[in-house]
Amino acid sequence: MPARRLKKTPAHLEITAFINLIVVLVPFLLSVAVFTHLSVIDLALPAQSNERIQKLDPDKPLKLEVIVRARHVEVNDKHGGRIVDPIPNVTSGPDVRTLALTIKGIKEKFPQHDDASVLAEDQVPYESLVQVMDAVRAGHQVQGKDLIVTDYFPNISVGDAPVIRQ
Amino acid sequence: MKPLTPLERRKERKSRDHNQVDMNLVSLIDVFTLLIFFLMSNTGAVETLASPRAVKLPESHSQKAPKETVLVVVTANEILVGSRVVATVAEAMKVDGDIIEQVKAALDVEASREVIRKENEADSKRVTIMGDKDIPYRLLKKVMVSAARAGYSDVSFAVRQRFEP
Repeated sequence: MPARRLKKTPAHLEITAFINLIVVLVPFLLSVAVFTHLSVIDLALPAQSNERIQKLDPDKPLKLEVIVRARHVEVNDKHGGRIVDPIPNVTSGPDVRTLALTIKGIKEKFPQHDDASVLAEDQVPYESLVQVMDAVRAGHQVQGKDLIVTDYFPNISVGDAPVIRQ
Repeated sequence: MKPLTPLERRKERKSRDHNQVDMNLVSLIDVFTLLIFFLMSNTGAVETLASPRAVKLPESHSQKAPKETVLVVVTANEILVGSRVVATVAEAMKVDGDIIEQVKAALDVEASREVIRKENEADSKRVTIMGDKDIPYRLLKKVMVSAARAGYSDVSFAVRQRFEP
């Protein structure tokens, strides 16, 4: 006589309602989700419309000027002249890595200064300007798994680059 | 033919039901559930600035949150104040001086609005410029000078946040 065995059927979960809920929620949340976060860079006025910025302050020996030209970036001190040789551009735009190292060196010499001017030539694209401002504003080092942000010259004003006489 | 007894009917129904195809949805549900948690954790904060589709913003490390201000958008072809087109880029580039009259006029209108709450007064003279990453500095300067002449003394650039060094 064969053994009587309980016929086992696999358990069935009634999940239709749950799936309905998920199918509605996923498109809704996808449509609401924000994948690119926007932020802002604050800056002082263009120098030519604000006399206060142009005025020389004898108490502050350093007046850092970063001049963005079509082919290179110059780092100058308004009183002391050129600080380093012009940094030539790379293919993607200004050489921000070299610039960041230069700015870091300057910040180490003048730790109490927060002001800098970024001066651009007329045809310089906005993106290059923002990249240079980023490099002047703060430094970013990778330390382990963290990104360390060090402020260099956060008070940036923007203005026109002095014209080179041909 | 003799009608089936209820027990027989049940047996038959059971055997018939057993033939239906069983869809295996477990992995699908797994994915959806994960996706829901991910999306829910992502939609915590409300964005004050909507990311524009017509404007390719430059990238920056800045983590400053945008404020509720007057917005000037400079796309590749047009200049918008608020959400109204006030001038085309071609017109603006042709202007000899540094002031684009249409932009200044539109911002003057914005500036004439009264601030109702006192604590918002500090931010009322602030303008956010959302510029395409390829516009030349010359155009940006004209927009900034026009804003300054209309009394908007604080300028912020809207940028896309970048995380890698």
